[in-house]
Amino acid sequence: MQAPMPLSSERLAAFGDTTELERIRQFVEEQAREFGFADQWIHKIALAVDEACSNLIRHSYNSDASREFYVDISKQDTETLVIEISDSGSSFDPMTVPAPNLQQYAAQHRKGGFGVHIIRMVMDGIEYLPADPAHPMNRLRLVKRLS
Amino acid sequence: MSKFSIEQKTNGAAEVFYLNGFLDAHTAPLLESAIAGAIGESKHHIVVNFQDLEYISSAGLGVFMVFIEEVRATGGDIKLAAMKQKVFTVFDLLGFPMLFDITETEQEALSKFSS
Repeated sequence: MQAPMPLSSERLAAFGDTTELERIRQFVEEQAREFGFADQWIHKIALAVDEACSNLIRHSYNSDASREFYVDISKQDTETLVIEISDSGSSFDPMTVPAPNLQQYAAQHRKGGFGVHIIRMVMDGIEYLPADPAHPMNRLRLVKRLS
Repeated sequence: MSKFSIEQKTNGAAEVFYLNGFLDAHTAPLLESAIAGAIGESKHHIVVNFQDLEYISSAGLGVFMVFIEEVRATGGDIKLAAMKQKVFTVFDLLGFPMLFDITETEQEALSKFSS
């Protein structure tokens, strides 16, 4: 069955550089506000997208500023906002990352591994679609509902 | 580009870091260098004042994870003070209040070092 056509969709093209994160957050905040989310959720949704893009820039693109990825935000229906992050790096399903153990991480002086946990806590739906012959880019699809 | 700055002051036996702006994967290395500098000078009583910090992502939280055990092993601590609600929310999402001493005010954090 084909996915329903979204009501509307906006795209931001970004490069593999952490200087892009502020622009990405602003884009997500604008779209989430326009959709009708309250301030506390606008902040959390932008945070979740920041975490996904930070991981992508640093681990998949190795901070290569010449490489491009996309953040697409679509209104699937009046209640559902869908944010899709598409990249051309090697496939890596972030959902395979285990939940962090804080005491253990502190003992190991680990500074990473929290982003995926934040995404899980904030979003209502997370789906990872690796690139295939029909879709040349990996896609991380994040879903948030108004209520 | 994310705007972020740090100001550092000595208050008695404690080093106080005042964070301003947006702390994300781009700006977190600045904070990591600043705290590493203090620890390198054997300053292990550290207070971080978040009053003017507007945003933090997990890259910012990770900086405190890197140093907390090392600082506590020498009898010191990194105390986190005066967070805005939306910044505290991020610490809370990850369960950091269980691991870190988070206070309402800088003064409260400082007094814990002197008591």
